Amino acid sequence: MTPWLGLSLLVSVTAGLLLIRWVWPGAAAAWWWPLGMALGAAFGVGLSSVLLYLWMLAFGPTRGFPIAECSLLILMTAIALVRVRRAPKVAASPRDHPGRPAGLLAWAAGLALALASAAFLGMLRRQPHGEWDAWMNWNLRARMIFRGGETWQTAFSDMIPWSHPDYPLMVQSLVVRSWLYAGGETLGGPAMVAAAFTLGTVVLLVAALAAMRSASQGLVAGLVLLSTPFFIVHGASFYGDVPIGLFLLTTFVCLALDGRHGEATRRFAVLAGAAAGFALWTKNEGVTFVPAIVAGILASGLVGGWPAARRRLTGFGLGLLPMLLVAASFKLRLAPRNDLVATLGIERTIDWLTDPRRYFLTLREFITHLGAFGFNGFGSATWLLLAYLLAMGIGRRELDRVWTRMAVVVLVLMLAVDYIVFVAMAYDLPRLLNSSLDRLLLQLWPSALFLLFMAVRTPEEVGFPFRRAKPS
Amino acid sequence: MSLTPASAGTAAAPADSWSVMRTRIALALVLLYALASGAAWLKLAASAAGRAAPDEISTYERRFQEVRAALPARGVVGYLGRTDSAGLTPAEREAASLRDFKHYLLAQYALAPVVLIESTEPDFVVGNFDSGKAPSAPPGFRLERDFGNGLVLFRRSP
Repeated sequence: MTPWLGLSLLVSVTAGLLLIRWVWPGAAAAWWWPLGMALGAAFGVGLSSVLLYLWMLAFGPTRGFPIAECSLLILMTAIALVRVRRAPKVAASPRDHPGRPAGLLAWAAGLALALASAAFLGMLRRQPHGEWDAWMNWNLRARMIFRGGETWQTAFSDMIPWSHPDYPLMVQSLVVRSWLYAGGETLGGPAMVAAAFTLGTVVLLVAALAAMRSASQGLVAGLVLLSTPFFIVHGASFYGDVPIGLFLLTTFVCLALDGRHGEATRRFAVLAGAAAGFALWTKNEGVTFVPAIVAGILASGLVGGWPAARRRLTGFGLGLLPMLLVAASFKLRLAPRNDLVATLGIERTIDWLTDPRRYFLTLREFITHLGAFGFNGFGSATWLLLAYLLAMGIGRRELDRVWTRMAVVVLVLMLAVDYIVFVAMAYDLPRLLNSSLDRLLLQLWPSALFLLFMAVRTPEEVGFPFRRAKPS
Repeated sequence: MSLTPASAGTAAAPADSWSVMRTRIALALVLLYALASGAAWLKLAASAAGRAAPDEISTYERRFQEVRAALPARGVVGYLGRTDSAGLTPAEREAASLRDFKHYLLAQYALAPVVLIESTEPDFVVGNFDSGKAPSAPPGFRLERDFGNGLVLFRRSP
């Protein structure tokens, strides 16, 4: 089964890469393979999930899907080859691509990747079905769809509300897809999906920072992410938090690219919209992410001018629209009401909203969990980054960019919305804070790292005398 | 045209020793943080490599293989599996309730795509009890099959 699982991943990544190569505005921004690959992988898995959903609506979860998807890939490849041959070549200047990273950092990042991968595989061996939420929710839904055949829509029965049948389909559909390729259920399917999202997040973070700041900056951020215990442990748990984290990061990366090249092209804003749509298709938290981005873009109009904000907003909306329609079709056709919303009562919500103890408790837990996030025995990642920031300083040029401020607004808004949701909607507040807050922080963690390392000065900017890795 | 800012990559600003020292400290902190996690990853990987026993979920799921074959391929099936909590302390009752719920979830995970509901309304009802404690059939049902190990299948009497 393993070669077929590998093929399923290869098809997704290749399709995404072709798509990104196709839409990349070569005249405005130089193409760089590592970043293109990383973005392509994220968009590829998102696209595969949506394609399978549309296929299922038409034909159910049938074995014909892999054949149809591979045929589509072949068609895309042919079109892309023709387009690339016809497209005018844009010569990249020497500074279009990051320099070689410092030897020590490259070795440390390589070692960290090897050790984190070994731990990831160890956790898969220990719990091949993942943690609680994985088998009671994500993988259960995948099984119900895959085994259900013609009656796959029973997977969204409101008779098992504890399994959250209203959750969007990104993760479950990718697991089903892997089984369709493999020709049967295998524990390797969910494991491969989990590994792809976890590794994909690391690669995108490193590649995006390497492309937009410096290779060393990318590696330092990658080291921190690979060393954040909860990121690796949770990645191997098959939950939806690492997957949505990848799409939030993809959105921010595209917005950063738009911040650099937005005057010449609207395509990165469109890609940001599509990535935000994939976040919406991954977890319900995506519903709060989209308005936060819109608010961030509108706020950016105050500092960057309204024409630029309008252009960014239009592009974002164009990219978002298809996924909005897909997500809406799922919510309207298949998904029952969200259990959290279904059990809400106006009187009780008002009681909770007017109870100062709930605000205090939630604030205290936010501060505690934020301060301790990523603790690994040496210290928490939050304090580590604060120390790093103080030592390196902020790059004024990056801080002055409109997109940086917009991203800060979005992250703060996301935290604020999470805070209010806890206060207003949590029945057993202490328990929910204890079980969910770290996961919500984890969703934002790769994006927060990206934003921080975009803004903080690179070792090269400080003038640090690196010894470069020797060319092989 | 460029993705990388002019100052990044190979260009370096003139550095004063204080800046270099601060950068050294910052990078050392990151490397120490990575070292601490790396040691934990190594320990975790080593402990998992020496593990031979199958995981808890796979073991539990195996109990249901025969039940799955005996059930209709689709539809809604009832479930009984609550521990008798008489005589238990509140803490024990809570622990038993959590364990029962986990067993119900695992049963649903194993028996998908049938929908398993904690009720005796459907015609088939799966009983999942501690081994040797299978109770008698609920009113209106007969024992269809005893799979052993506390697992039984009840069917509504005609």
